[in-house]
Amino acid sequence: MSSEPIERRVSYLGDRLKASRCQSCGKEYFEVRDYCSNCGRKSYGKMESIDLFFDKGKLELCTYINEPTNKFMKLSSFIYGIISFHGGKIRVPGRLTDQLICDGKDIDFSSFEGREVVPRFRRRYSVGKNEVVPTISLAFTLADEYYPHQEYVVSSSNKEYELPGIVGYGAYTSRFRIKEEAIERAVPFIDEDSVTAAVEAGKLALIHSGVSNTLVGKVYCGSESNPYAVKPIASKVAQVLELGEKDGDVQAVDAVDTEFACKAGTSMFKDACSLVSYPRSGVKFAMVIGADNSQAAPRGCPGGELDQFVGYGGAAYIFGKQDVIAEVEAWYSCTSDTPDFWRRDGEPFPMHGGRFTGDPAYFKHVRKAATKIMERQNLKPSDVTFFVPHQPNPTFPVRIARELGFKDEQFLPSLQINKIGNTYSGCSPVGLAAVLDVAQPDQRILVASYGSGAGSDAYLLRTTSQILDKRKRQKVNVKFQTENRFVEYVDYTTYRRLKLGM
Amino acid sequence: MQNCPAIVGVGRTKFGEHYGKEPEKLIEEAWLAASNECNIERKDLEACYMSDCFLPITNKLGLEEGFLSELTELHVPMEVTRSFSAALLTACHAIQAGVYNTVLVGGIEKMTDRWDKIRDDLMLLEDPWSYYAGGTPESNHELMLRAYIKKYQITGENLDKLNIALAHVAVKNHANATKNKYAQYQKKITVDQVIKARKSAHKPLGLFDFAPISDGASALILTSDAAAKKLKCIPIHVLGCTSATDYLNYPAREDLSRFVAAEIAAKNASLMAKTSLLDIPVIEVNDESTMMELVSLEDLGFYPRGTAWKSIYESSKSNKNSYEMNGKQLFVNTDGGLKADGNPLGATGGAQVFEIYRQLRGDAGERQISFGAGTPKSGCVLEFEGFGTKAYVTILGEKKD
Repeated sequence: MSSEPIERRVSYLGDRLKASRCQSCGKEYFEVRDYCSNCGRKSYGKMESIDLFFDKGKLELCTYINEPTNKFMKLSSFIYGIISFHGGKIRVPGRLTDQLICDGKDIDFSSFEGREVVPRFRRRYSVGKNEVVPTISLAFTLADEYYPHQEYVVSSSNKEYELPGIVGYGAYTSRFRIKEEAIERAVPFIDEDSVTAAVEAGKLALIHSGVSNTLVGKVYCGSESNPYAVKPIASKVAQVLELGEKDGDVQAVDAVDTEFACKAGTSMFKDACSLVSYPRSGVKFAMVIGADNSQAAPRGCPGGELDQFVGYGGAAYIFGKQDVIAEVEAWYSCTSDTPDFWRRDGEPFPMHGGRFTGDPAYFKHVRKAATKIMERQNLKPSDVTFFVPHQPNPTFPVRIARELGFKDEQFLPSLQINKIGNTYSGCSPVGLAAVLDVAQPDQRILVASYGSGAGSDAYLLRTTSQILDKRKRQKVNVKFQTENRFVEYVDYTTYRRLKLGM
Repeated sequence: MQNCPAIVGVGRTKFGEHYGKEPEKLIEEAWLAASNECNIERKDLEACYMSDCFLPITNKLGLEEGFLSELTELHVPMEVTRSFSAALLTACHAIQAGVYNTVLVGGIEKMTDRWDKIRDDLMLLEDPWSYYAGGTPESNHELMLRAYIKKYQITGENLDKLNIALAHVAVKNHANATKNKYAQYQKKITVDQVIKARKSAHKPLGLFDFAPISDGASALILTSDAAAKKLKCIPIHVLGCTSATDYLNYPAREDLSRFVAAEIAAKNASLMAKTSLLDIPVIEVNDESTMMELVSLEDLGFYPRGTAWKSIYESSKSNKNSYEMNGKQLFVNTDGGLKADGNPLGATGGAQVFEIYRQLRGDAGERQISFGAGTPKSGCVLEFEGFGTKAYVTILGEKKD
């Protein structure tokens, strides 16, 4: 059994790679130090805390591990080494992640040594199914490959908008894909799950928004593949991204998980907007995340049809009223108790209602929400530049978009289902991110998400001029990840193994 | 050294797997052998110092002193340390202080009882952050080798020679072990085998570069000089005995290509013994890996930094069991070292002292080295706890009056 206090302490330091710097002599330490061993007692109280979470390091030395310790057995083999930060002032151990090493090949260690690496928040190692999931950021990826290093620069706000809206966003998906016919789907690496995807998306959203993490007063996490039945993803996100003011070792932030199948994330957009608009909330910015390691039974098993389409990833949105890139003009939601897709407690994989998932479920709700919001706003499909339908498979979104009267150029930019698969709670949010990546100022975007169970949230967004300025901040956008030359393809067996996690 | 402590008897068990034996049985065997050698009765013992690195973890044994008391029917002061050298150091201090005249120093480890999780425990104990990052007990040794290669810019032909030199360390130690009835491995290996094992694993160091997991015990009787004289045996004196400490986290250390703690301990032990280590012909180093033996030769000052491999490579050409140092022969790990003799952590240091004791007394049998006309006059033991986190250097020899 793991020890909860030890787990908490290791995570507290390791998830964020907390370090200290002596303000007198400049010596730096991994971990939190109360005084500098160089300067002794006189440095007491003069240590400043730094962290390496948004930093980049250099892989100094490495070796190959093919017989890991028990808890790393599921990684089977990996490159492991010593990473330095700040020109060697801090050195930490670390493993390279997102690398499938094929046995039988000689490894030239010097081809890795000296390269820049980015710390990544991942699962630390395997534990029993009833234990706390350990995490750490002593996992690194090569900065010159799939995921480049990006600085997090906090900028002061320029403009206050009348309506609340999206201030920044980030979409994240893994480096691995399975390709079957025309469909490519994202596959998590074995140390990734919905929690790590939520953190990655949140990290990218902070970078894109330029909003200080301390000003984010609430975080909502929507997912249907939380590794825990009880214990929020949002608490991990708040802790790792240090959302809200730091107060001792707690964050002054409200964090909550939401669940409504695939619309767990989008449902909270309006709540985030309302919260930042309420003058007494004290919340300037609220973060909404939808992320999933979409679950599906293996093919041939009941529910295995989903295995054709499930992907991995998610997106995070920061809502506020300052420096908005897309104002939220209107919303409309509808709900009915339609059990077209479900997963009973304790079951590993969801079940679905076969052909009923289409007509009485998806189409009915999406059609209702999209039609109603346009009706209320007095808009025709041609008044909207982009339509983002929920995309559980390649056919549904196309059918509903055309039925509603949208042209291909209006909805095709949003469709990522053929590139990263159905990311459940991350699905519509990732589609919206792909559209925001290319939208011009003063364009209308209509989003209609869908969640089984069932319901749909429609939002009408209007982009502002700031969308162009902020775009420059984000290199790791949807296109960058889907058309990345470092994407690695895996076969069906590897896909199932990676998806199962460590 | 004032009030110079003397070793009057040593004993040990075979190292390897002792499936059927409790830890108590092993220490009993070692202590009986040691006390037989110098004809000491257990009632003569005034204190016991015992070492085990992690019996509380492997065998869920806390209060190891208690079972030692049951075994010996003694109610004298007993203390437990993590390594044999640490126990010996503490015992030496007590004898020097004149507190005791005769004490037992013992070491024990039962690692195969937790074969399933021993590597996790070893690594977690040795360097927790490296463990959390995925490190294995072997990886730090390999990283040190990488650091060494980079620091001294060893490339091309020289890199091949370095790799052969490291292989020769294992070959030499296995050959030495064939003459040691207590050794865990009794078979010779070749440079080719060592290199093939690395190649098939695609690693800088392979199966034959690392010491095994072992069970075993070792013991010695330590007395004051005056008490040794009454025993009518030839004592071997502890001339210098010291330790030094370094960070737990290997990557955070200043220099990754050496063990600073070993260097400091060696210097201090040498000052204490008023002897230069360079005059010592036989040493036991803590070769948890072949890389560790190489680096230790430099840490102890036998070779300038970045050069020890050259001398080892020269010995490999004629498959010699000694290295050349300034025209003299240096014998290292004549018992097979941790590599072939075995490495039951808490007992390992005892086996190292056992070997030097035998060599200095001239009763090492087939393994006996000659030094000029007679037996060597002094020897040295380097033992580590963790991956260079603690280093103990003990210099043994004849007391200079």
